[in-house]
Amino acid sequence: MQNKNIRNFSIIAHIDHGKSTIADRLIEYTGTLSERQMEAQVLDNMDLERERGITIKAQTVRLDYKGKDGETYQLNLIDTPGHVDFTYEVSRSLAACEGALLVVDAAQGVEAQTLANVYMALEHDLEIIPVINKIDLPSAEPERVKGEIENTIGLDTSNAVLASAKAGIGIEEILDSIVKYIPAPEGDAEAPLQALIFDSYFDSYKGVIAHVRVKQGHIKKGMKLKMMATGKEFEVTDVGCFKPQPVDVGHLDMGEVGFVAGSLKDVRDVRVGDTITFADRPADKPLPGYRGVTPMVYCGLYPVESSDYDNLKDALEKMQINDAALVFEPETSIALGFGFRCGFLGLLHMDVIQERLEREYHLKLITTAPSVIYHVYKTDRTMLKVSNPSELPPQTEIEHIEEPYVKATVIVPNDFVGAVMEISQDKRGEFKTMDYLDTNRVMITYHIPLNEIIFDYFDRLKSATRGYASLDYELADYQTSQLVKVDILLNGDPVDALSTIVHKDRAASRGRQLAAKLKEIIPQQMFEIPIQAAIGSKVIARENVRARRKDVLAKCYGGDISRKRKLLEKQKEGKKRMKSVGSVEVPQEAFMAILKID
Amino acid sequence: MQWGIYIHIPFCRQKCFYCDFPSFAGRERYMEDYTAALCQEIKTQGSCYRQKWGEPATIYIGGGTPTALSAGQLEHIIRTVTTACLSEGTQPEFTVECNPGTVDEAYLSRLRHSGVNRLSFGVQSFDDGLLKRIGRIHTGAAAVQAFQLARAAGFQNISLDLMYGLPGQTMEQLQASVGQVLALAPEHISIYGLQLEEGTAFMKMQEQGRLHLPSDELTEQMYDYMTGALPQQGYARYEISNFARPGRESRHNLSYWQDVPYLGLGAAAHSYLDGQRWEHVSDIEAYIEGIHSGQDVMQPEEAHDRRIDMEEFCFLALRTAVGISKARFQEKFGCTLASVYEDAITRMKARGFLQESADSVCLTDLGMKYGNWVFEEFLLG
Repeated sequence: MQNKNIRNFSIIAHIDHGKSTIADRLIEYTGTLSERQMEAQVLDNMDLERERGITIKAQTVRLDYKGKDGETYQLNLIDTPGHVDFTYEVSRSLAACEGALLVVDAAQGVEAQTLANVYMALEHDLEIIPVINKIDLPSAEPERVKGEIENTIGLDTSNAVLASAKAGIGIEEILDSIVKYIPAPEGDAEAPLQALIFDSYFDSYKGVIAHVRVKQGHIKKGMKLKMMATGKEFEVTDVGCFKPQPVDVGHLDMGEVGFVAGSLKDVRDVRVGDTITFADRPADKPLPGYRGVTPMVYCGLYPVESSDYDNLKDALEKMQINDAALVFEPETSIALGFGFRCGFLGLLHMDVIQERLEREYHLKLITTAPSVIYHVYKTDRTMLKVSNPSELPPQTEIEHIEEPYVKATVIVPNDFVGAVMEISQDKRGEFKTMDYLDTNRVMITYHIPLNEIIFDYFDRLKSATRGYASLDYELADYQTSQLVKVDILLNGDPVDALSTIVHKDRAASRGRQLAAKLKEIIPQQMFEIPIQAAIGSKVIARENVRARRKDVLAKCYGGDISRKRKLLEKQKEGKKRMKSVGSVEVPQEAFMAILKID
Repeated sequence: MQWGIYIHIPFCRQKCFYCDFPSFAGRERYMEDYTAALCQEIKTQGSCYRQKWGEPATIYIGGGTPTALSAGQLEHIIRTVTTACLSEGTQPEFTVECNPGTVDEAYLSRLRHSGVNRLSFGVQSFDDGLLKRIGRIHTGAAAVQAFQLARAAGFQNISLDLMYGLPGQTMEQLQASVGQVLALAPEHISIYGLQLEEGTAFMKMQEQGRLHLPSDELTEQMYDYMTGALPQQGYARYEISNFARPGRESRHNLSYWQDVPYLGLGAAAHSYLDGQRWEHVSDIEAYIEGIHSGQDVMQPEEAHDRRIDMEEFCFLALRTAVGISKARFQEKFGCTLASVYEDAITRMKARGFLQESADSVCLTDLGMKYGNWVFEEFLLG
């Protein structure tokens, strides 16, 4: 394809603003898939994604569109993950494009997450086409939303498309605008190859498949190529485009988007952001912006049945094949036995992995409360990175502790500014800026500990703002904090997996809340179970789970034994989700209790 | 070989608020046809198993409310089973469940003369307010009277049921009821704690927040009181819920727990034959229709493998005071009890739930209180 007829673009949108529906309509309109092949929201093809209405793995699709000028254009849609956990992945996808559709809900207006991605797109010099979606809603206010886009982002909205993907309005206009406004890719087709990897996945037949954008040079089947960051060399066995299934076309030219495979076994060799070049005639430098994977949030994953340890290990290894951002290493807990310390990009990433392990590998898991990475400076002048509260050294050995802070951006209607400030203050946030996006909406930024964000910051924000708040955050720095470890004792024994690190000033209240929550969660057992929260040897809170008085099966009529058996089996099934910690049966959710206190 | 017959009568004058057994009020119009169909099944099945195994050791007519039928209908059923399964002059344990509100002198007398030798009265309580609150159709006085009439009719083996943990029930009410039962001096007493079951009136009330159950502590005190008082008065606890004077244990009830086969007859009746469990269609009309048209009214339940057999053998036997016989386990399964359950037994002994002798493993008093926890340990899956 001649590069003047190629357009590479992505779609920037907040959750629910209609990104997937627009993508579906574009695929449909260009006849890339017949109606029969169309499944609703083809691009979100993981069950989980469909249930949550979000994109976790980016997808790519090539659309062939015959423009008004009679020419056929190759439009490459690069779908981006729509969640704050995946900011880096989004930035790489954007780097593969020349333009982006900015989809904004005609009733809701601009949201924090959208804004962050638009700024990112602007940093990459992308041409942005505003699309005001859902204009057929009775509450649609396209003019107000246009004004908001102009005020907040400074984008000219004179070429904005008014659309309703659901009703099929404005689809052709979107396609024409892409052709008209987004620049064709430019580069030297004969120069040494520079292809940007913006995603990868593992295929059990072809090995790792890299999603790439050819920035200069070209790729052909049989070529010997090299990853510039990891140094991995391979021979191209498959190269082609997504329609949206991978179609082997034998080559990718300058400016095109598609995939490359070459019996690569390990996703870790195929890093998002890395540059692929010729093995024997490499480009003189890689494309800018490559970054290694840095997990932000850690938690312990333990099998409920200790005999499932190897199965969990296998499952994690298999997941890792497709997810270079997942890291894990073996860990032992006195309470939970053998398990793994796992690192994730963020809370959503953690949730998704955990749910997939349970769903796809039928594992019953106990997840400990998530933790950030603390930098613990010890009195012996060494620094320890601690992501598991139980590994915090004794107070006497600690000189000081630093914790990660983020820059959190919150957008809310101005009625809720007070609520946002109150919660952020309560979460140890330091107020930074406040800007009016328009007469009604405000953008507030805080410098706030990540630890507080992963607790229930967003949940609290949402409930205090009736769901209107949108949040985005990025790692800012590490700062010294007065942190202490709160331990929980069940029946007098400390349970390491329930320990948590909190700020000194709120340790007492956290301890009380946690003990009270655990009292609700831990079922009655034969004996009374004292629950204590302690800092060091000082008990700061105490609760009691009263003893279960009795448990006798009632009468059964006429020898219906099977029914008794079913009752027992059900009872046993319930206990299977519990872990024996000392003499106490503790349900899974107890280990996440810290997240559920308010 | 020992075996028993269970006959189900799915009729009630009124459905008790706690009951989820297969029994129905307002179906009187089917009583005649049901009796006929049931008798037909008794004739064919009963005589078949009599030929196979000899005479049954126990016959139990339960429900529902067997005495919701007319005396003539019930008598017909009794005579049919007697003719089909028993020789002249033999005396199995022959029990009929009675609701005190449904029987008079003549009714009881006809039962006694037709060969029934044991009655089980669902008394539940002697407190009239409480009886009304749980949907019973009789008063405490009616229960006393029914008992006395049964004695007068010649019944020397009578069981009374009591319930505890009922809505609004106080310890005083319970103690008074226990006192009344002891004053009547039956041979056998069953005690049942109220359990809320799906689909019952009580469950609905509970969901609406209108059911006021006694606290767990009070219910436990009631349990402790009864399990303490009855043995003191000479009623040995031979099974989790059952107490009897020596020699007056319900053989039929025990057979459920002791791996004895039983033939269930009538709608919703369950059977245990040659190691397989069976259930009858539970719908009354479907049952009558099935018998008339010669269709199968009995369906096999889930097929048992050796694992399930072991589990059931153990958790059923554990309901009884004698517990699991090691010799019988080994005889049935060809391996020792310890080879399968050593861990479970050790764990439960450590918690004070089980005691072990050279011959058997049985629940301790504490184990009886937490029976379900112990039984669960004997599930292998």
